[in-house]
Amino acid sequence: MPNDDIMELTIAELAPKIKAREVSPVEVTEAALAKAERLQPKLNSFITILYDQARDQAKQLAAELMRGEYRGPLHGIPVGIKDNLETAGIRSTVGTKVLSDNVPDQDAFVVTRCRDAGAVILGKENMEEFAAGSTSSNIHYGAVHNPWNLDYIPGGSSGGGGANVAAGVTFASLGSDLGGSVRGPAHCCGVVGIKQTYGRVSQRGLMVTSFNGDHVGPMTRSVQDNAIMLQVIAGYDPLDPSTVPVPVPDFSASLGNDLRGLKIGVPKDYYFDLIDPEVESAVRKAIAALGELGVEIIEVSLPNMKYAGALRIAGMADSVVTHEPYIRCNREDYGTTVLYRALAGQFVLGTDYSKALKVQRIIKEEYARVLQEVDFLATPTGPVPAWRIDSDTVTLDGADYPSRGPGSGMTARCTSPSNSTGLPAISIPCGFSEQGLPIGLQLIGRPFEEELLYQASSAYEAVSPAVGKRPPVS
Amino acid sequence: MTITTETLKAMIRDYKGFELSDEELELVRPELESYLAEVELLKELDLSGLMSSRLLRAKEGGEAIA
Repeated sequence: MPNDDIMELTIAELAPKIKAREVSPVEVTEAALAKAERLQPKLNSFITILYDQARDQAKQLAAELMRGEYRGPLHGIPVGIKDNLETAGIRSTVGTKVLSDNVPDQDAFVVTRCRDAGAVILGKENMEEFAAGSTSSNIHYGAVHNPWNLDYIPGGSSGGGGANVAAGVTFASLGSDLGGSVRGPAHCCGVVGIKQTYGRVSQRGLMVTSFNGDHVGPMTRSVQDNAIMLQVIAGYDPLDPSTVPVPVPDFSASLGNDLRGLKIGVPKDYYFDLIDPEVESAVRKAIAALGELGVEIIEVSLPNMKYAGALRIAGMADSVVTHEPYIRCNREDYGTTVLYRALAGQFVLGTDYSKALKVQRIIKEEYARVLQEVDFLATPTGPVPAWRIDSDTVTLDGADYPSRGPGSGMTARCTSPSNSTGLPAISIPCGFSEQGLPIGLQLIGRPFEEELLYQASSAYEAVSPAVGKRPPVS
Repeated sequence: MTITTETLKAMIRDYKGFELSDEELELVRPELESYLAEVELLKELDLSGLMSSRLLRAKEGGEAIA
């Protein structure tokens, strides 16, 4: 099978071929490495490509197949890992010069799960420095480029993963999402990305992370592939007290099920208040398409979302505490946008931190109430499509907003609330701007009901105008 | 609502924070202005009687509740 044809497949399409030994893990890995090498000068999506380790893994996995041992649908599938996830014996930089020589001695929980499932770790993916931003224009390792238009950002902070999945360099990538860092790249790159329920996936081995609201999540080219990835990484980790010991359902079981009888809530507050007209048009068309699939559309109210900005106050204080030891020792090695965004947190008062946590409670209650009336919510994933790499601002409704660094929270305004509520949220491609840049639809569900999000997303994916579209980069 | 450079420097000094030059303080100001605006908005909210909800819980068998 020609290399590029292999890399066009989804995991669900490729896995049976590997299992049947029509395609070997070595063949797939060589195809992925060749594409990674070819596109790295254009996308700059990796910080480290693991040529030797990936080949060694692929050979071992091929030998297992020859012995009749098959680990499951990730057996022999090349995946990318964001560089803020620990990988044993492999440099893990968190996208910063401060940790440029950091080599962990163990894998993150999710990396172990992927290895055990037979995934081939293709490389460590480029990202925003310290995962603190939406651009993935990394000052130390270079900007990641969007495969749909190389002059544009891929979203962030997991931009390398989004770009790789969209361009067919990897079949899936693991990112992290503190304010939208999986869903933002999914939106900007036209792939599927989920931030599952807080507590569904262990964060152990996620470096320089937030105390509250960070998640590890997968990006893939299809909803089915996303369910396959989440199946592998989900589950209770006794060594991460933030994980919740709930049963892990079969996330693929409800794919293809009828949507009739389900109710979708469309918020009349907040999410559509500040939005690019092309994004709004695409998302509203997607909601209408869900209606045509039999979902009852209900307008819902989230009035307390006017206080959603306060949720960031706790994050500001948390950021400076997280960065404190690194700033004390390596302040000169920080990029300015991350440094000054973190240092702003030292001015947050304890009383305001407490108020932010209470606003979090109010907003969680509000979502809980609304999600008794409907099965899930539909919103835009991002307020704007990807913007130019060389742009320091995003213009919306005639106002300019910083696109990175201090004051840039606007770009994550549709995704970050779900980090505070902990609710599962998925981004699915739903169209393109006039400039040909992808647009994402976000579905937000009840706690631990990711399978319902996958069911709805999968049904929508089949009718989405984005289905089958691939970026022009080659 | 604004906050003066002198006040910010006093906070850094009194709480042993990271020192920032006048120029650097201007770089953090957009984040601070956003913070202060949000705090101002919260004045209209009564936050005195709320319970904590740090964790999502699940009934035995996996049925989730918020």
